[in-house]
Amino acid sequence: MKPARVLVTGIATAAGLALLAYLSAVPLPYHADAAAGLRLSWSARPERIEVCRAVSAEEQARREEHMRQRVECEGSFATYTLRVELDDRVVGETLVRGGGLRHDRPLYLLRDYAIPSGMHRVRVALTRRETTDNDAAAFAKAAVPEADTGLFAGRAQREVTERARRARAAIPARLELDTALAFAPGRVALVTFNAERRRLELHAEGERR
Amino acid sequence: MRRLRRLLRPLLTGLDGLLTRLYGWEGNPIHQTGTVAVAMLLLLLGTGLYLVLFYRVGSPAASVARLAADPWLGSWLRTLHRYGSDLFIIAAVLHALRIFVQDRSWGPRTLAWVSGLFLFGAGLICAWTGYVMAWDSFGERLALEGGRLLDALPILSEPVSRSFAGDGPVPSAFFFVNLFVHIALPLGLGAGLWLHVSRLARPVLLPPRRLMWGMIAALTVVSVLLPATLGPAANPLSLAPATPTDLVAAWWLPFSERLPAGLAWGLGLGGALLALLVPRLTRRRREAAWAPSTVDPRLCTGCNQCPQDCPWEAIRMVAREDGRPTLVAQVNPARCVSCGICAGSCAPMGVGPPERSGRDQLTRLRSGELPALRAAGALPIIAVCCAKAPAAHLQALGARGAHIHQVPCVGNLHSSVIELFIRNGAPGVMVGGCPPRDCVGREGPKWLRERLFNDREAELQPRVDRRRVRLLTLAPGDLTGALAAFEQFAAEVAGLAAPESEPEAEPDTVCDPVPLEEAAT
Repeated sequence: MKPARVLVTGIATAAGLALLAYLSAVPLPYHADAAAGLRLSWSARPERIEVCRAVSAEEQARREEHMRQRVECEGSFATYTLRVELDDRVVGETLVRGGGLRHDRPLYLLRDYAIPSGMHRVRVALTRRETTDNDAAAFAKAAVPEADTGLFAGRAQREVTERARRARAAIPARLELDTALAFAPGRVALVTFNAERRRLELHAEGERR
Repeated sequence: MRRLRRLLRPLLTGLDGLLTRLYGWEGNPIHQTGTVAVAMLLLLLGTGLYLVLFYRVGSPAASVARLAADPWLGSWLRTLHRYGSDLFIIAAVLHALRIFVQDRSWGPRTLAWVSGLFLFGAGLICAWTGYVMAWDSFGERLALEGGRLLDALPILSEPVSRSFAGDGPVPSAFFFVNLFVHIALPLGLGAGLWLHVSRLARPVLLPPRRLMWGMIAALTVVSVLLPATLGPAANPLSLAPATPTDLVAAWWLPFSERLPAGLAWGLGLGGALLALLVPRLTRRRREAAWAPSTVDPRLCTGCNQCPQDCPWEAIRMVAREDGRPTLVAQVNPARCVSCGICAGSCAPMGVGPPERSGRDQLTRLRSGELPALRAAGALPIIAVCCAKAPAAHLQALGARGAHIHQVPCVGNLHSSVIELFIRNGAPGVMVGGCPPRDCVGREGPKWLRERLFNDREAELQPRVDRRRVRLLTLAPGDLTGALAAFEQFAAEVAGLAAPESEPEAEPDTVCDPVPLEEAAT
């Protein structure tokens, strides 16, 4: 091979390899320099919207012993409206419902909003769309008195306790966060739902929950 | 599809020519795209084995950062792993393009095409998981995009993307599953590769040593000089203005990010479906040039040569039904790609695609071309050229006084054709084939060389002066070399005594039957 051809081949090979190295790490733009972000992320149980009725003593007597619930409810899970305002301007208003094809799974929420950096007033509201005055606990009080014995003794109380637990685990009918925050460029402020305190909380500047 | 093929052909030929000018046809990597991809896969396995020893699913970013900071093995092997994966993808894409442009994507090659697509898809997923493993800003970007695409499918009630929202650490289980996929898929690639070449006889899996080690050495040098970058560790609560993106492995990312997830899925699946349908869309009617080989059982001596030479394992020897004590060749049309190599391998000329058997070649020569040549005077040097040879080469050879005799593939050429030319007074026959690793019939130039110079069955008869026969490679980008070889050959035959002309000479077309026991050995 002639020296000139060796040189050309060497240069071409080096250029090809340099191109390969460049293409393997091209600085690809991602987010605007001055941009900040607001992220909403939480999961929680939606409320059950139910129509309840107290089961009469006669009806209970016709059932097997283990089937004798004092209150029977039918219904579906609540849906919610999520509204996000920035400086009194609505930046997002969406319907939020439980996960899964039948929307009977917990509600998983993940929304990202691009926000110019700087001081902003942020309002986030999650509001139940359905109205209901069915209170299973109230029906329970009105139901037939405790008649269970033996293995099923105390069932009425357990029913009440379980309903109360479910109600506590569900999202309140309305959640709201209204605050002012200085959004740092390149940073994301995170809004989460604190299930114990049953309220929305803001985490900013990389602060972790 | 044919229009697309016509559009792509000049691009690929141009690239082929450029690489031949740089490396010569012997070292042209574009003829070795499939084997280069396999070599890179082995390189990835080797380097990956080292890297995985130091990877921690509990602290992915920190463990990769430690590797990247190691100036000795860590940084070098990590970079080699990355560049090797990029070269794997480039080689795989070029391989598919070549197969498509060369009309090798349908019929018996459908299995190879479809399995190749799955191998390529698995390679892309491997690259994806590999970058996520590093968990730098680019890995996070890929994970987020993957999460967005997965969340668009109604199969997971909890969005995958929530794992990267920042309201909790990314679970180690995610990195464990990611690592598992990254390691398990290459094992699957091995099985897929077996399927990919399962219809080939004597599959070549690795490039020539010089090319393979040359490439690895070149990648090693560039890995040391230009170590792969590692972006800042992933931080879900930070918005990176840019990420160091591998546009070879993640070429789809800039498009996908700009599209709604449904549309991205639609385009991706639509593209994959279209690619899977290529065998259907490009298939030809199995007639004329695409008709499968047939066997004339009256001529077949049962010598067992055509099954040995067939590059597609499309021929087997079976018991005869006419009572003769020999086997007979049987062609499986579903496996035959009509390359015609069997026609060149059959001494009694009893097998080959219609109109292309050895007898058809001799008949055609006698009935038209040879009388016309004789009528024109003394025969010139005959250049028997593959029909796929570059047109510029044929023109240049013709301009230098050679008579061009085109054949579909030089592996298709029966040695008796060469004998007939020479015994009719041609001073020499130069056979110009494609570069051996660029032969559409896979093994045409290899078997021809064996038949002409190494007495492989259907050999050129000893009475033919070998000094009057020369093999030449006609590669795009190597016109000068081809012409120099031709001129040297012309000078050599000019120095020989004038050939005897035997217009009535008959090449041997009758062979003795090969007994069963001999055929079996």
